[in-house]
Amino acid sequence: MSKLATWARLKSPWVLHFNSGACNGCDIEVIALLTPRYDVERFGIKLEGSPRHADVLLTTGSVTKQCAERLKRIYEQMPEPKFVVAIGACACSGGVFKGNYNVLDGVDKVIPVNVYIPGCPPKPEAIIDGVVKLLNSVKEAKPNGK
Amino acid sequence: MVVDLWFVFRVLVFPGFTFIFFFTMFCDWMERKIEARMQNRVGPAFTGPAGILQPFADIIKLLSKEDIIPSGAKRNVFRLAPILAFSFVVFAFSFLPIDGSAVIPNSSFAGDLIFVMALITIANFFLFLSGWASSNPYGDIGATRVLTQFLGYDIPLTLLALAPAFIAGSLTISVIAANQYLPFAILAPWAFVLFIVTLQAELEKDPFDIPHAESEVIGGLETEFGGGKLAFLRLTRDVQIVFGAALVVELFLGGPYGPVFFGLPELWYFLWFVLKILAVVLITEYVTCLFARLRIDQVLSGNWKVLLPLSVLSLALTVAVATWIYPLVM
Ligand code: SF4
Repeated sequence: MSKLATWARLKSPWVLHFNSGACNGCDIEVIALLTPRYDVERFGIKLEGSPRHADVLLTTGSVTKQCAERLKRIYEQMPEPKFVVAIGACACSGGVFKGNYNVLDGVDKVIPVNVYIPGCPPKPEAIIDGVVKLLNSVKEAKPNGK
Repeated sequence: MVVDLWFVFRVLVFPGFTFIFFFTMFCDWMERKIEARMQNRVGPAFTGPAGILQPFADIIKLLSKEDIIPSGAKRNVFRLAPILAFSFVVFAFSFLPIDGSAVIPNSSFAGDLIFVMALITIANFFLFLSGWASSNPYGDIGATRVLTQFLGYDIPLTLLALAPAFIAGSLTISVIAANQYLPFAILAPWAFVLFIVTLQAELEKDPFDIPHAESEVIGGLETEFGGGKLAFLRLTRDVQIVFGAALVVELFLGGPYGPVFFGLPELWYFLWFVLKILAVVLITEYVTCLFARLRIDQVLSGNWKVLLPLSVLSLALTVAVATWIYPLVM
């Protein structure tokens, strides 16, 4: 039974895209995943609008102080098991905004992160690679941070 | 006892619940593939051969997820409404003759066309309730949109369904289906085309999919639903689409009846039924891909100012030319 559930989880990761103060470069790359060129629906990945539907949270941006609360709330609204992917140098460590007075320097200051994808912005290939790594780690079934 | 077993088999396995479920999953996969191909994409590709297991993976995953009930939601309605909506659609399905007779044998009665459409209305009302009970602004907006759109388009749909009923001289679905040696889609094409357009609105597909326009209302009435309840909401929508196609087949395309070449007629009827449904699903999906979403005011005024008068006209036309049509029936 749990084998079946893991299979289903691997085959249909629905993602939610959250911009916590990115310059929009990374966001364009995330949206590029859905275009005919990369078409991640091949792997069953679907972009959902509501955090309640999502399995994977794709965060971009260096988390402004104003956004931190919202990011946390969105994360808490997602049903278990849930995973977080930090996309872009900003989301990993603050990137070009590191040390700024109004940012928290990375998503992992607020919520646990499963996969970091560096790059400014990362290529769509890199994002797919990151998601594949995430899925491989799901095979051992480790929901967030444990 | 033997009769009872047969009855249980028909209701639960074939052509009842199991068949409807698997067929719905197949249609869902086909729709996603068509949509992807029309957008120059591949669509689901790695879940089973050509991604055919993708809908199953989605449903199983949703069922295995955490079940959240938001603190503001009306707990009981929130929990029950999606399941009730699903069961009403499946119940409505069981009145359609699938392999020459309905799922529950001898369940057809005079006027079951109206009864089935009433069941579908109730199912949509439960969809509305589920959105309403979630106490989320987006859910509320989506729910009221479902209700506004559905109540409006129900009238032309019923009027248009009366055209084949009038030609066949009966309100019983099986009689209407059995009377079509020449499909009513050929005898009364005006009603057929309008019925497909109205159905598109009933099923909340493009260009009428304002109840779940992602860019406006996030997930519409589904916004607060996750896990198993979302699975039931999605299933309801998919079964509704197949049901709509099945209704078109029964009313306009001669139901399950078609040439029988050899062997059991039931098998052939079943084959024709499935093929015809797939053809209708293909048409509706084609329309969905071709058209952009309308605004809500356009959808509503299109209903009351265009489709309603047109459907009355089409009924009048059907009545007017009935004398010439009758010799072609029977
Ligand atoms: S990583 Fe680069 S592209 Fe992405 S949000 Fe930060 S600055 Fe923009």
